[in-house]
Amino acid sequence: MGRVRTNNEDCYKIVEPLNLFVLSDGMGGEAHGEIASAMAVETVVNHCLDIETNPAARVIGKVDPNWSARTKRLSTAVHLANKNIFKSAEADPDRHGMGATLTAAWIDDAKLSIAHVGDSRAYLLRSGSLLQLTRDHSLVAEQVRRGILTAAEAEESEMQSVLLRALGAQAEIEVDAEEHTLFPRDVLVLCSDGLTRMVTEPEIAGTLQAETDPARASEKLIALANERGGPDNISVVTVRLEKSSKAWFSWLRRGSGKNLGSNGSVGGN
Amino acid sequence: MPKLSLMFDNKIMKEVPVGSRPVTIGRSPDNDLPVDNLAVSNYHAKIYFEAGRMVIEDLDSLNGTFVNDLRVERATLHDGDNIHIGKHKIKVDTSGDAPVPWDSGRKAAAPRIDETMVLDTKERRQMLQQAAAMGESMQFASSRMKVPTLVTLNGRTDQKEYVLTNRLTVIGKSPMATVRLKGWFKPQMAAQINQRDDGYYLGPGDKVPKINGAPISGQVRLNDGDLVEVCGVRLNFIFRE
Repeated sequence: MGRVRTNNEDCYKIVEPLNLFVLSDGMGGEAHGEIASAMAVETVVNHCLDIETNPAARVIGKVDPNWSARTKRLSTAVHLANKNIFKSAEADPDRHGMGATLTAAWIDDAKLSIAHVGDSRAYLLRSGSLLQLTRDHSLVAEQVRRGILTAAEAEESEMQSVLLRALGAQAEIEVDAEEHTLFPRDVLVLCSDGLTRMVTEPEIAGTLQAETDPARASEKLIALANERGGPDNISVVTVRLEKSSKAWFSWLRRGSGKNLGSNGSVGGN
Repeated sequence: MPKLSLMFDNKIMKEVPVGSRPVTIGRSPDNDLPVDNLAVSNYHAKIYFEAGRMVIEDLDSLNGTFVNDLRVERATLHDGDNIHIGKHKIKVDTSGDAPVPWDSGRKAAAPRIDETMVLDTKERRQMLQQAAAMGESMQFASSRMKVPTLVTLNGRTDQKEYVLTNRLTVIGKSPMATVRLKGWFKPQMAAQINQRDDGYYLGPGDKVPKINGAPISGQVRLNDGDLVEVCGVRLNFIFRE
């Protein structure tokens, strides 16, 4: 069987000066998934970059009044990404049905803002526990939340690809956003479902603990998923936090791979 | 004559009669009912009459053929049935036909979905309702409607009760902790609770907490009424009505 998609529908961006991390997985056949995920990442990054030149930009969507300006900004950015993809899909019949997931993390000192739509995930490794910071907007995850399936049954389900929420599917969407406090030595991971379908959470936790260099940890996770013949694109962004006297330092690394021909690159800084 | 109406956004795009010849549906323009959408396979499905019944057969399409929101490989169609293919709907009109018994022996085919797809709001609601109706452990589902709460039984914390609203709840001395422990020598982050799809999991922080007197190893799912102990503080985990 093993259908391998030849275009890379994953996209990610690390904006180091802002400590902003954005990851997206596109869908929609042909090259449209790729277009959607690139559009999602670009819109979110640009809107967040604007925070300094245009701090009073309008907030879109439901926000919690207690959220920081950054969390509101990030959530708004995801709403904008949805609008852009939706409009683009409406305007061009070829692009009809294209969409993307989006998981974004923005770190400001010890404050982590997360905004999320779809089934890419954000995890935090802390004190040896892998904590899931996002909930998948997939049919099977919703069935688990409603007690219809067990987590194990969901992993076996052939309905795993059915999403209930994605960027570009509707004119208006709901964005999950939340704030967390970070502690020294926390490791943040953003990943596409290409990783989580192939590698178990204990394996992710083990890899992150064994490999303290975030760049190499990302590479190892991708290699592990590839060994299992993951048919999907895989993107992993790993961020390790260390407290310095002045601020949080983050070393970042991302990668993507698997049978992509032109795109098997691993980069970072 | 029975007919099929291709609808998009509740507008009829095209109508075709179903006669003795099969009606083919797909993205390719040479189909009897072409549907121009990327979610639709080139030759997606066909509809024909067999022994007096109108039958739909999925032609190994990528994203599947749904009849009244149930994915099918082959199914008998009835008047008023709604077929979903990609984002398009096809309404079945068999008026004039004698009613035929539903082929109840046939189970919906196991779905094979390789590519990610999104259900739109209405489809999703229907599909979830259907899934909920099939679910057996509704008891558990109803307990999920209750509010997860930590109640301080002994020890010094900044509140008597905490409703767990965040996906991550930190128990510790940190000013940013949800459950703030008071007193000297308390760790910044003693333990944490992670909300996951199937429940709330207690995990260690700088200390290893106990559940009902036993130290935990790794993350452990909390049950209604569990007693959590960490740093001399005893907390009761309960689902409030």
